[in-house]
Amino acid sequence: MELLVCVKQVPDDSVTVTLDASGKPNLGGITPVVNAFDTYALEMATRFKEANGGNVSVITVGDLKENEKSLRSCLSVGASTAITVSAGDADAACALACGIPAAGTYDVIFCGSESTDVSAAQTGIRLAAALNLPVVTNVLALEPADGGLTVKQETEEGYRTVSVPTPCVLTIVKPAYDPRYPTMKSKMAARKIPISTVTVDAPAASDAAKCVKISAPAQRQAGVKIQEKEAADAVAKAMGMLIDRKLV
Amino acid sequence: MAYLFNEEDLDLYETVKDFCENEIKEQCKEYDVSGEWPTEIYEKAAEMGLNALEVPEEYGGLGLERLTVAALMEEMAKADAGFVTTITASNLALKAVLIGGNEEQKQHCCDFLLDGKHAAFCLTEPMAGSDAGNSKTTAVRDGDEYVLNGRKCFITNGAVASFYVVTAMTDKTKGVKGMSAFIVEAGTPGLSTGNHENKMGIRTSNTCDVVLEDVRVPASAMIGEEGQGYSIAMKTLDMSRTWVGCGAVGIAQRAIDEAVAYGKERITFGKPILKNQALQFKIADMEIRCETARQMIAHALMLMDAGKPYSKESAIAKCYAGDVAVQNALEAIQILGGYGYSREYPVEKLLRDAKIFQIYEGTNEIQRVVIAKNVIGKF
Repeated sequence: MELLVCVKQVPDDSVTVTLDASGKPNLGGITPVVNAFDTYALEMATRFKEANGGNVSVITVGDLKENEKSLRSCLSVGASTAITVSAGDADAACALACGIPAAGTYDVIFCGSESTDVSAAQTGIRLAAALNLPVVTNVLALEPADGGLTVKQETEEGYRTVSVPTPCVLTIVKPAYDPRYPTMKSKMAARKIPISTVTVDAPAASDAAKCVKISAPAQRQAGVKIQEKEAADAVAKAMGMLIDRKLV
Repeated sequence: MAYLFNEEDLDLYETVKDFCENEIKEQCKEYDVSGEWPTEIYEKAAEMGLNALEVPEEYGGLGLERLTVAALMEEMAKADAGFVTTITASNLALKAVLIGGNEEQKQHCCDFLLDGKHAAFCLTEPMAGSDAGNSKTTAVRDGDEYVLNGRKCFITNGAVASFYVVTAMTDKTKGVKGMSAFIVEAGTPGLSTGNHENKMGIRTSNTCDVVLEDVRVPASAMIGEEGQGYSIAMKTLDMSRTWVGCGAVGIAQRAIDEAVAYGKERITFGKPILKNQALQFKIADMEIRCETARQMIAHALMLMDAGKPYSKESAIAKCYAGDVAVQNALEAIQILGGYGYSREYPVEKLLRDAKIFQIYEGTNEIQRVVIAKNVIGKF
C-alpha cells in the first residue's frame, strides 16, 4: 500500500509560549519540531509498512527550507520520500487537498488528530471532505482487510472497531507505543534523499472558521494555606471553607 | 558541547542528546543503586548504532569525524559515565584489532559492533596493572592453535562481550617482547568470567575477571605477529586515552550544569546563591577546567586526524580531563551543600563516577610518566 503521512512543523511544545504586546504568540527562539500527533501517525504508518509492505511518504505545506529539518527527521524514522506543497496563502487542508493528487496516488492518508500548537483538529476531516474520501478519526491501530482496513477507533466511552475502504483518511491519536528513535545510519542516509516540491494554485483560506482572538490560559491563582497548629482546627477550617463555597 | 560546526553534525548531536536525556539520564539512577546491567538501555543504544560510532567507513561504519564522535561521547557521559564506559571499552578492543589486525580480523570485529554487540580489552591482571609487562597469562603454540591460560581482572564488558582482545605471553624469556595479542570469541570453551565487581561508580558498566583455562584459539586469531602484543596494546592505549578524556569532560560539564541550575534556584539570605561572587568564581574555574580539557581532547584528535604523533597529547588529555572531572564533581557537591551530599541529588554520583577516570586505562600517575618521558626524552 502507498501510505502518506501529513506532517506539520510546530514550535516545541515543551516550551511555554507567551504572547507579545500585539497578542501574537512569541515564537522567537523556540525550536520547530514535528507535531507530536504526526509523529504517532508516522510511526503507525511505518509499523504498518513493516508488517504488510508498501511505502511511506510524508508531505507538509510550506517552504522547503523552513521545513527541511523536520522532513529529514521523518525520513530517518520510516518515510522513504518527502514532499512539500507550495500553495501561497491557502490553509493546510486546502493546500493538501490540491497538493496530494498532484504528488501521487495513495491508499491511506494519515494525519495527526490535532496539532500541538493550535489544536484545532480540522485538517484531517476537512482534507477528507475536500478529496471526497472516507475518514476515521482518533485511530489507535489499523490492520489490512479485504478492500480496505479494519481500524481501532478511540471514543469517549472506549474503543470501536471500524471497517473502512481505501483510499481513506485516518486521524491518529497516541497509540500504546512511542515513536522510534532514528538510528545513526538512518539519520545520515536521510540527508541524501531528495525532497520534491509540488506547487499548486489552491483556493485561499476559507472564512467558514476563522481565528478571532488568541489568549493565554488564565494563570493559576495562588492557593490558600491552612496553617493551624492543631489537626482538628485545620480540618475545621478546611471544612468551613468547603461549606462556604457550597462544595460539601 | 564539543566542537561541531555544521548543521548535519549538530543534527546527529541533537538526536543523541535527545536519546540520552530521555532514555539514559533518569533510568540509570535505579541501576546506579542496584549495580545491575541495564539491558534495555544498551539494547536501545545498540539499535540506534551507538556501539559502532568508531567503526571506519571501509568496514561498514558511518565515517564520522573524530571530533563529531567526541561530541557524542561527551553527551553520553553527561547522561551517565557508566554508559559511555561500556561504549568506549568496546571501541578500545576494536582499536587493538584496527591497529594490529589483518583485513579479515578487522571486518569480523567491526561486524560485531555494527550488530550492536560489545567487546572487551583484556590486558590487566592481578599482578600486572600499570606494570602490564608483568603478565602471567600464557599462550602456548600447539599445532595450528594456541592454548591460553591465565586470569585477567577489572575487565570492562567482561561478562557481556562478544569478543575479547587478550594479551598473553608467548615467550616469557623476552619480557614485553614475548607478549602477543589474540582475538577470543565469547563461548570459546575454557573462557569464563568471575563476579561482577561491586564498584564505587560507573555502576551501569560491567567489570569482572576473565578467566582462561586451556582456551584453544586458532593461530589465525593472533593479532599481528608473535611478540607484537605489548606494542599493539600500548598503541591502543595511546589512542584510546583521548576517548576516555571525552567521558571525563562529560562528567565535568554535567557538574557545571547541575551546579548552575541549583545555584540559580537556591535562595539564601534573600537571593539566589549564584549572586555571590565567591560561587560565581567557582563556576568560572569549573568552566575554565572543563573547556581547557575539552580543547586538549580536540587537539589530540586533530593530531590523530593529521597522522602526527599524539602519545603525549593523548596522555595529557586523559590525565587532565580525569583530574578535572573529579575537581568539578567536588565543587558541584560543595555548591549544592548538604543536598549535594545526598543521593537524592545527582552530583554525588558524579564524584563516584569521576574517580575511575584517574585510574583506568593507565592511572594518572602513569600518564604523567608518559608525558615526562615525551618531554625529557632519553638521557
